[in-house]
Amino acid sequence: MAGEVHTNNPAIKDIVRLESVSKVYQQGQLEVRAVDNVSLEIDTGDFCALCGPSGSGKTTVLNMIGGLDVPSSGQVWLENHNLARLSRSELASIRRDRIGFVFQAYNLIPVMTAYENAEFVLRLQGVPESECHEQVMMILDEVGLKGMEHRRPDEMSGGQQQRVAIARAIVTRPAIVLADEPTANVDSATADALLDLMQKLNQEDGVSFLFSTHDQRVMDRARRLIRLRDGRIESDEARR
Amino acid sequence: MNLIALAARNVNRNRHRSLVTIGAMTFAGMIMILYASLMEGLFLSTERNALAMNIGELQIHVKGYRDDPDLYTKIEGSEKIISKLAANGMTASPRLFGFALAAAGISSAGVQLRGINLELESKVTRIHEHVYKGEWLNRVDMKGVVLGRKLARTLSVNVGDELVIVGQAADGSMANDLFQVKGILKGVGEEIDRGGFYMLDTSFRELMGLTNGIHEIVIVRDDKTVEIEQVTDKLSAIFPHYEVLNWRKLQPLIAEILDLSDINIYIMLFITYIAVAMVVLNAMLMSVFERIREFGVMRAIGVGPWQLFSLIYTETLIQVCIAVVLAFIFGLPLAWYFQLNGIDLTQFISGMSFGGIAFDPIWRAELTQRSVMAPLVTLVLIALVAVLYPAIKAAVIQPVKAIHYR
Repeated sequence: MAGEVHTNNPAIKDIVRLESVSKVYQQGQLEVRAVDNVSLEIDTGDFCALCGPSGSGKTTVLNMIGGLDVPSSGQVWLENHNLARLSRSELASIRRDRIGFVFQAYNLIPVMTAYENAEFVLRLQGVPESECHEQVMMILDEVGLKGMEHRRPDEMSGGQQQRVAIARAIVTRPAIVLADEPTANVDSATADALLDLMQKLNQEDGVSFLFSTHDQRVMDRARRLIRLRDGRIESDEARR
Repeated sequence: MNLIALAARNVNRNRHRSLVTIGAMTFAGMIMILYASLMEGLFLSTERNALAMNIGELQIHVKGYRDDPDLYTKIEGSEKIISKLAANGMTASPRLFGFALAAAGISSAGVQLRGINLELESKVTRIHEHVYKGEWLNRVDMKGVVLGRKLARTLSVNVGDELVIVGQAADGSMANDLFQVKGILKGVGEEIDRGGFYMLDTSFRELMGLTNGIHEIVIVRDDKTVEIEQVTDKLSAIFPHYEVLNWRKLQPLIAEILDLSDINIYIMLFITYIAVAMVVLNAMLMSVFERIREFGVMRAIGVGPWQLFSLIYTETLIQVCIAVVLAFIFGLPLAWYFQLNGIDLTQFISGMSFGGIAFDPIWRAELTQRSVMAPLVTLVLIALVAVLYPAIKAAVIQPVKAIHYR
């Protein structure tokens, strides 16, 4: 698994498949069903939004697809891998090579500069330093952070931090980017610019995107809109 | 990915946290060096007091003398024996013993007269350094004597006072003479404190009418690395007609006490190290758990559990290496200071002895290879063990839990 080279292969139709997935949290005596028997497929090249009110299970679904959390029942498939069957190390390799994460709270590594944050996963993959440099500088330019490479997260605005997070997520050209409320903490102009960038990557490089959001701007741009309510799929609508 | 470079960068960038962790470990290391040196000092001074005040390392007697210490049971030709010992890498001093009654004013007490060769005795024992009042013997003052502390109290004498010795001389006549107290010893052990009566060998011979022979030869090794048992066997073979015993056989109680005190020191060191380990563990736990979110993010973006474990371990190793160097730099002068000045316990234990071993009222540290290296090696081990739990925890925690860790 580790070190295996993948490409964004259009021959694999469903990049993500959830089969009757449920996630139950125990809160004291109370059982909270965050995700309730959800089944869905995300196709390669999708630009898809999971939307719904707070507590509808959007982030939990995203976390389970990314192997950050494990379902209480059901199965999650990423490309041809059943995530439940993978070891911690294999899951780490999948996340490193095939998934890009954008978190709502940015979650950049605080002691690293913008450049180092974006470079980190490439270095994990064993990409030589010179190649890393070229790719990172290109991606930082793409996300509009040219000249800010040496700034640390605490020296950047929320929008700039989110751009670094996106740069980190896409620099490896992953099969899918899982973005949790990527526009929640940025102003409108930045949100539009980030969405433009992600749309461009989707259209030009075939990177699949799955957002969790309740931002209308994201929903407007999504080609597929899955609505969640109380952990269940309420509607699944293909658009344009 | 270069793990060491990444770990070094993390240590450097998390400067405040790293300083706190390194500071805690440095402080722990310094305390451990100081404590180990003080303990080493305590052990060595106990051994020194036990051996260097009186017993020496080995002794030679005529067979049977120790069971019945008779004035007439003498070693003849001691000069030859001492020369032979010197040729075998040993320093030796002859002693003469006799029993008499000492009287001063209305007080009297039975004493053990100890006739010593002034020059040679100072090479095998350090009794001359333990004068509490007055001064040690010299060749000019033939009638000067030095008494044990409790004996002086029993006789109610002070430096400069006169006392009379009455006993039986070697020829059967009465031995009596007037002496002057030249010095009073510090507490050096029960036997000497109560009955020690030091005088010049020439004065002893004159008093007791003993023209030749001696009663005891006290020996110390020039090379302390040679095993004492090995030396005993060797000397027994060289002098088959005499009884050669090392200090462990001469004073088995003291040997047991010293063995026990060695164990006590290790137990106390162990307890101290455990306390220090708690400090280091706390620092490591805080250092790792404060960053658990950061580690969760690393796990989320593809760092494997073993990679993260190795990273945390390497960071700890870098920090502990810096702490070891700093502990060495600061701990050494600290222990050195206490080696020179010691801790003055005169008010508490002056003149105290246990099982015939006097406690030195100035507790000095003793810097040895063991007292420096053992704490530093232990510090490294403690840090590496202390970080084990948080490193494993960070490595196996579910990324989503780590990211939302509070």
